[in-house]
Amino acid sequence: MITTPHWQDADTFYEQLLDAQAGLSPEQLQAFSARLILLLANQVGDAVVLAECIQAAREAA
Amino acid sequence: MSLNTYRDVAHTNGYEFTQGGGYELPTYPFVPPPELHSQAPARHPIVIVGGGITGLTLACSLARLGVKAILIDEDDTVGVKGASSRGICYTQKSLEIFERLGVYEPIAAKGTQWSVGRTFAGDDEVYSFDLRQQGSFNLSQQPPFINIQQFYIEAFLVDRIQQLGHVELRWRNRLTAFEQNEQLATLTVETPAGSYRIEAEHVIDATGSNSPLRKWLQVPFDSKRGDDRWCIADVRFSTRPPTERHTWIEAPFNENRAVWQHLMADDVWRIDYQMAPNADPAHVSREDVVRERLARQFGPEVEVEIVWVGPYAYRSECVHHMRHGRVYFMGDSAKVVSPFGARGGNTGVADADNLAWKLAAVLRGQAAPGLLDSYEDERLEAARENVRVTNRTARFLRPAEGIERVYRDAAIALAKRHPFARALVNTGRMAVANPYTQSRIVQYAPGSAAGQSVQNVAFRWANGQAGRMNQLLDWAGGELLLLCFGALDAPALRRLREVLATTPLRAVQVPAGRAPAQASEHVRDPQGHLRGACGLAEGDEPAWALVRPDGYLAASGGAIDGRLVQAIGLTLGLTGVHA
Repeated sequence: MITTPHWQDADTFYEQLLDAQAGLSPEQLQAFSARLILLLANQVGDAVVLAECIQAAREAA
Repeated sequence: MSLNTYRDVAHTNGYEFTQGGGYELPTYPFVPPPELHSQAPARHPIVIVGGGITGLTLACSLARLGVKAILIDEDDTVGVKGASSRGICYTQKSLEIFERLGVYEPIAAKGTQWSVGRTFAGDDEVYSFDLRQQGSFNLSQQPPFINIQQFYIEAFLVDRIQQLGHVELRWRNRLTAFEQNEQLATLTVETPAGSYRIEAEHVIDATGSNSPLRKWLQVPFDSKRGDDRWCIADVRFSTRPPTERHTWIEAPFNENRAVWQHLMADDVWRIDYQMAPNADPAHVSREDVVRERLARQFGPEVEVEIVWVGPYAYRSECVHHMRHGRVYFMGDSAKVVSPFGARGGNTGVADADNLAWKLAAVLRGQAAPGLLDSYEDERLEAARENVRVTNRTARFLRPAEGIERVYRDAAIALAKRHPFARALVNTGRMAVANPYTQSRIVQYAPGSAAGQSVQNVAFRWANGQAGRMNQLLDWAGGELLLLCFGALDAPALRRLREVLATTPLRAVQVPAGRAPAQASEHVRDPQGHLRGACGLAEGDEPAWALVRPDGYLAASGGAIDGRLVQAIGLTLGLTGVHA
């Protein structure tokens, strides 16, 4: 799992992420997030990295 | 509504007869056993309790190896009287086992082959596969799957056992009490002519998911019950759907719940409908309700003959240990899974095939009793894997309300547009020959396929005739089979003769290409399938593969050396890993 910056353009991504979800209902937000997570997970592919990401998301709360 | 408020309905994992004509099943006569009138209980090496597909496979495997055993069954027929067809889908590995047992031909003649599966969500196909195109299936002489009603296979096994002899089938013999000590078990058996007692060195519990032995012995197990409800309709049509496995995750004609559609023998189709979690089983299986559902799927003009209808619910169970004293748990008495992916009956068949040769080797004095403990190493791993895989499917098909449902919707929505997400759509992962990764009798080594199943591939006998792996296993007659690939130089031949002189082993040379053979027992592998099936690299390099009577690779290596000798000892339970 990469935890150091790997972005080409972090600010643009963040803005796109927020814009895409602006005005969505809670149900639509959940569905959007789920689809996005699955799409991104397939970009990673690596089973160990995915497990580490899930764990890291748990711990950051 | 909270999950706790669903009605506690009287579903079981087994199918219950509710409607339909059922099947005509063969019946077998009750023969009063000799022990009825003897004072002291007779002692038998092996008693199998339960004559379902698992018990009968074990009985037939033992009969083929010439091992004496007794099988008791409380009924006088195969299947559940007048009712269900139970299992329908048999894997390549099971079919390979059935070929070895001599019942494959009638199964192939009666059953239906299939290899194409399609999965739909709404009106869209989201996923399809053709197993014939997959490398893992294409070398065997058996097809990826045959669908056939379970009781046909059981009836073929009964006929075969009677032909082979050695195993006595006792119908209408019900186990009513059991006790055991270190050396032997004592069984009390009730028959229409009275009860009797027998002693057994080894008892096999193949009584299925309601095992009395498991209760009496208080065998610990893990259990999981879902609230998912299904209703099966086995039907005949005036028009035939394609010979493919069709599954709907969300069927428009079933209130967006799942539907399975599968062909069996006699042109009978199994249509399996997912019901609402709180559905009343009596209502959903009522004939007019079933007919209405079928009409919604196939159109009102299609004539339907209902063969059998039954509601059921999931439950998954797995024992912590497959052996308790003199008792071995096998098939559904060891683990219960939901039917997705055909991991129930096929696992029982593999359990039986695993233990049969080990019992034979120990009773013949060719192996150490410790060999029998490897049954648990191998088959508990398989049971756990099959429970894990089917539970994942069950979770996809009946996601908990909330985030599980959100993710399933996301996976389906993406799968309609993008191939990557189809891998997440889980309507059952088809059963495979489970690999053994933690067995005390497998010699693991880097690059070796040890612990995996060897497919029933084709080769040529020395005289040019077509042969297949199962015939080599037959020739080995329950002993280990050593395949020596490539040339055998003088020292290798000498070592091979030494090994053969001291161990229960049959060896055959497989020379490279058309090169001359050094051993008198040799076969040809013109397409390299034998070599490939044993997981060996292509080429002419000398290599050996040690194959067990159940068609699993015990070990493989290069030169004939001390590692081979060690592998043989290990496989027979004569030496430990570090010996």
